[in-house]
Parts: sequence; C-alpha cells; structure tokens
Amino acid sequence: MTTPETLPSGVSAALAVATLKRLGMTHTLIIPDSESRLLFDTLNADPDVMVISPTREGESISIAAGLWAGGAQPWVIIQNTGLMEAGDALRGCGVGPRVPLRLIVGWRGYAGARAGRLPIDSAYTYTEPLLAAWDLPTWHLMNDGDIDVLAAMDQAAATTSHPAAVITGYRFRP
Amino acid sequence: MSGAPMERLEVFEHLAELRTDEIVIMTMTATLQWPLVSDHPLDFDFLAFGMGHASDFGLGLALARPERKTIVLKGDGGLLMSLGSLVTLGRHGPENLVVLLLENRSYEMTGGQPLPPGPDFVALARAAGVEGGGLTGCGTVDRIETLEDFADALPQILSEPGPHFVVLPVQTRHPLPPVNHSDHAGRIVALRRALGTD
Repeated sequence: MTTPETLPSGVSAALAVATLKRLGMTHTLIIPDSESRLLFDTLNADPDVMVISPTREGESISIAAGLWAGGAQPWVIIQNTGLMEAGDALRGCGVGPRVPLRLIVGWRGYAGARAGRLPIDSAYTYTEPLLAAWDLPTWHLMNDGDIDVLAAMDQAAATTSHPAAVITGYRFRP
Repeated sequence: MSGAPMERLEVFEHLAELRTDEIVIMTMTATLQWPLVSDHPLDFDFLAFGMGHASDFGLGLALARPERKTIVLKGDGGLLMSLGSLVTLGRHGPENLVVLLLENRSYEMTGGQPLPPGPDFVALARAAGVEGGGLTGCGTVDRIETLEDFADALPQILSEPGPHFVVLPVQTRHPLPPVNHSDHAGRIVALRRALGTD
C-alpha cells in the first residue's frame, strides 16, 4: 500500500490541512517535531481546527480514543519516536479495542537515510517494522502528489475499524 | 492528612447515589469495586486500555460529549505513569471533566507495593496549571479527606464547571472481587452504543 516516491520536496502544510478538513477531522492531537513543525503552525493558525497538544504521545493516542468513543473524528500527528513511546496506548486504545485511529507518523531519519548519510537513525530503521508488527496498514506521503493517501488511509481505518497510518518522510513545507 | 483514609467503597456509594447521566470511567482496582454499587450503561471499564491513561481518555470523551459530565476514577499509581497529563488537563481540560484521584499510596492491583514516597498530588496539579486552568479557566484542585466532606462537596463538583481534580485518600478493607472483564473491543462498542454514536 505504498506509493512510489518522486522528489524529496515534502508536502504543503496548507494542502494537508485542507485535505484533513475535507475528510471531516474534528480534532488534531499533535506534539511538534522536526518533520511536522510547519503543519503544527498551520493547524494552530486555522480557527476551524481544534488542536490539542499533549505532553507525550501516549496521551495523544488515549485522548484520541476518547474523542472517537464520543463520536468525534480525531487525527493523531506523531513522530516515529513518539509512536515508540506510545506503544502501550496504541495497543490498548487502538489495536486491541479496534479504534480506527488515524495516524500521521513523521519518519525521523528517512531523509538522511535516503541521502546516504551515516549513521542511520535507528528511529528510521524500526518505524515500518513496528507499524507492521501492530498490523497497521501504512501509506507514504512524501510530496503533494501523494496527498490522496490521506483519504485512502481514512477510508481504510473507517472500514476496518482499526488504526491506520500515513508516514511522512520529509518536512512539511509552507 | 488527618485521620484514617476514607473507605473507597463508601466513596463510591456516595458517588453512585448522586450520579445521574454522567459517564464514569474507571480503571485498575476501581473496576472491581465500582460495579458493586453501579450497573449503568455509561460505566466504562478502562482496564487494559493503556496504563496511566484513563484521564486522558476521559478528557477526549468529555471534549466530544460536552452535554454531560465525564467522571474518571483513577489511582495515584496510574497518575505517576502519566504525570504530564496534569499539564494537558490544565491546558485542554473541558469544564465537564471530573478526575477523582483515589490516593492509596500503593500499586494495589499488583499486591500493594508502595508508591514512591513524597508526591503531593494536589501541589502537582496546582503547579501543572489545573487550578484556574482548563479550557474555560474554571479548573479546581481539591483534597477531600472525610466522607462527610465528600458528600457535601459532591453536588457542587457535579454541577459546577471544571475541570475538577479531586484527591481522595482512600483505603479498602473489603476483599476485592476477582478480575473478570469483558472483551476489550466490546466495552468500547457498548459505550458508543450507550452514547448513541454507533
């Protein structure tokens, strides 16, 4: 379920936010990280989006599960490092009870690894195997041409009632 | 602290008596005792959903369902696993959220091992911005040490805007029922049905 990568240009934060709003997102759980910082700014500048910034990613997942239980449509934007920290929450509030969490995972280390820079970031190495171990279907969102993967992932989460993820390898751009 | 801690089951009895249509989220040993006093479609057993995250789940639920209060029954050991959640409560906590911290100074679920000594949960919550905080600036932080005071304060806690964070020193002399929980996914489906979201 991956899409071929073309240029390492990153995704327009404005395009991403417009797409998420079109998909019916009601709340965003986001802790800023290197990949998502412009997305963080764009979301916070949008008066139509309710942004919640917890202190750690396990909180993000758990708050999102509560929002979903109450009928809202939250998205969780999380770096791969935070995903690793949030393992028990993802297990307990997502995979186990089949809560259709929508995750956008910042893939720290991807750009460096693709550019051949050493050492390879272990956060890069373990991201896809970890998502696969939790049986999360994943899509790659690397540039604006991939934007439809957000809808594909959203649809998959809804139809399977299971968490799903889009992975972003480059920093969001204006 | 003055006097013996409150008997947890009696705290629950007071709460169940006044509870009407509030959502009640419970975790760890509270999941063994709350069902002794309540059988309500909006009772939600959070056990195994994510260590330390019951009040985070409650925060999300309260945001999504502003028309009713969400009450979280969680322990002090659980809070230590996610202390940052106090900061989130102080910033994003909605006015319809009540967190009742059952302070027994032990990891009761695993045999009563003592908590690290010293944390003052009221001071921690205040330092995290819960008092005067939350989305509407109405957050409160309290410590209630007697059943009489709890009974007196409860109507206000359930009716006035919060978020409310209340530390309740408790003990239990009653033997706990065995753990016997329904399936993980079924619990959240049942909650959504009770809320009319499924």
